[in-house]
Amino acid sequence: MDFNDPMLALSSWIGQIGDFGLGLLWRFIHIVVTLCHIVSGIFEAVESYAISLGLIQKYSSTDIEKLKCLAVVVDIEAARDVSKVVELLEWLTTIGVKQVGLFDSQGLLKKSKDMILEMVPRSVLLQETGEKDTSGIALEFISSSDNKEAVVKAANILFQKYLKSRHPGKDEEGENVFTESHLNEALRVVGESVHVPDLLLVYGPVRSHLGFPAWRLRYTEIVHMGSLKYMRYGSLLKAIHKFTGVRQNYGKGLMVITESRDSNRNF
Amino acid sequence: MSSLLSIFLTCLALILIPCLFIFRRPSVPLFLKKTIIFIKTATSQYNDEEESGTIGGKEKRGRMPKHVAIILDGNRRWANKRGLRVSEGHEAGARRLLEHVMDCFAMGINTISLFAFSTENWGRPDGEVNFLMAMFEKNFKSEMAYYDRYKVKISVIGRRTNMPESLLGLIQEVEEATKSYKEKHLIMAIDYSGRFDILQACKCLAEKTKNGLIQVEDIDERMIDKELMTSCSEYPNPDLLIRTSGEQRISNFFLWQSAYTELYFPNVLWPDFGEAEYLKALTWYQQRQRRFGRRV
Repeated sequence: MDFNDPMLALSSWIGQIGDFGLGLLWRFIHIVVTLCHIVSGIFEAVESYAISLGLIQKYSSTDIEKLKCLAVVVDIEAARDVSKVVELLEWLTTIGVKQVGLFDSQGLLKKSKDMILEMVPRSVLLQETGEKDTSGIALEFISSSDNKEAVVKAANILFQKYLKSRHPGKDEEGENVFTESHLNEALRVVGESVHVPDLLLVYGPVRSHLGFPAWRLRYTEIVHMGSLKYMRYGSLLKAIHKFTGVRQNYGKGLMVITESRDSNRNF
Repeated sequence: MSSLLSIFLTCLALILIPCLFIFRRPSVPLFLKKTIIFIKTATSQYNDEEESGTIGGKEKRGRMPKHVAIILDGNRRWANKRGLRVSEGHEAGARRLLEHVMDCFAMGINTISLFAFSTENWGRPDGEVNFLMAMFEKNFKSEMAYYDRYKVKISVIGRRTNMPESLLGLIQEVEEATKSYKEKHLIMAIDYSGRFDILQACKCLAEKTKNGLIQVEDIDERMIDKELMTSCSEYPNPDLLIRTSGEQRISNFFLWQSAYTELYFPNVLWPDFGEAEYLKALTWYQQRQRRFGRRV
């Protein structure tokens, strides 16, 4: 009996030391990762300034034709500072981007739409230009209501179509009604754009698209740009330049190397 | 005495842990496994604090994700870099997968989703597609006992119309055998498309409406959520989505479910995505402050 008490105390003491050590280890791992991010952040900042000053040749010419539609996601805290959004749009106009979708989850940018259109030179609403090429920049204002809520509204149109169909309940009828093209059409009917952005830039602390219309994000390149307050022209140019160099296979393989006619066996 | 031991542990960590982030293939895998287990134990204290209410609801730092989704990209490039056949790249990717699934579960992750084969992948050469289907079959057969032993629930999501019959039969067998397990859930997305997922959810709701089970006016986002293929999981929306190989897009994976998912795009090919990269991804996730679209 007497022997057990010290043993219990000892094991408890060892357990506490172990927990303390584990906590230190865990915190140390976080410190290492944070330091790695700080160092890479410093390099990125230096590179960004070099790009802004035109010191890095490869960024001085960017094939902007490949970027048909750009989307920008802004954190709701950043969306309150319209001046930074306007500055970003001016940079994009300088680079030559023709179409930009601006998204914030709460619709703050939608509410400031008129002010933004007034402050950004040669800007027009995308809905007003249609597919016509403009000399300026066509803007689209998007919020969370254009995401899932819009899909539900569009789906309701398809539901009505399905219920009125001649052979409801048959699987083929469902297959014919619920297709991507039908949902695209229904989204247009409820006033939603189905333009798929080629590139999505996320400004804010989180690396998430924050509820950008899911239907439109299938093959969109997503780049996290950091805080809008501390945005850099060089980083923006780099992100766009990098996008123009991306080659997408869209899931299909283009890199198979086979040496014999029997592709199955040699695969 | 306790402070001396703590100092010793810290010095050990100072020497060895930076190796995790410098060398792709650390030469101390045993230490890495133990590090992972240590982290799990260390973070469990945060879960205890959350349950006791000592940490505020909005503060989500320091947590392990409940659902991690992974796009396994880079097998073919990995093989091409080494002058190997593409099939060997896929085999290396499959081995990497099995190595890490249990480590993830040990760290407290409840659900792991793997984007193994997309609907668009049917456009790949027949040889590659046939090989991948055969590889899925082989892995299900060889790992069934393993999943059963470790009580891992297996779910396969995606269209099943184009899959070989033999694979379909195996999938049904594995799902049936593991359906009662709850704490660890492995979701394999085979012939999956995010857009198709949304459409099939709409179609299910339309059929329910036709059968009088629901009214069209009652259909909202939550009802679509319940009909998505990920509704088989307790945590249908991933907290963290990892896409390897440096590509920065989600390629039609979990479009609806990923609104507030943290996106992590490491520049490492999938067969090279080792313990160190996992550690980095999870540590990075823990440093995020997730707001789910709300003001803080």
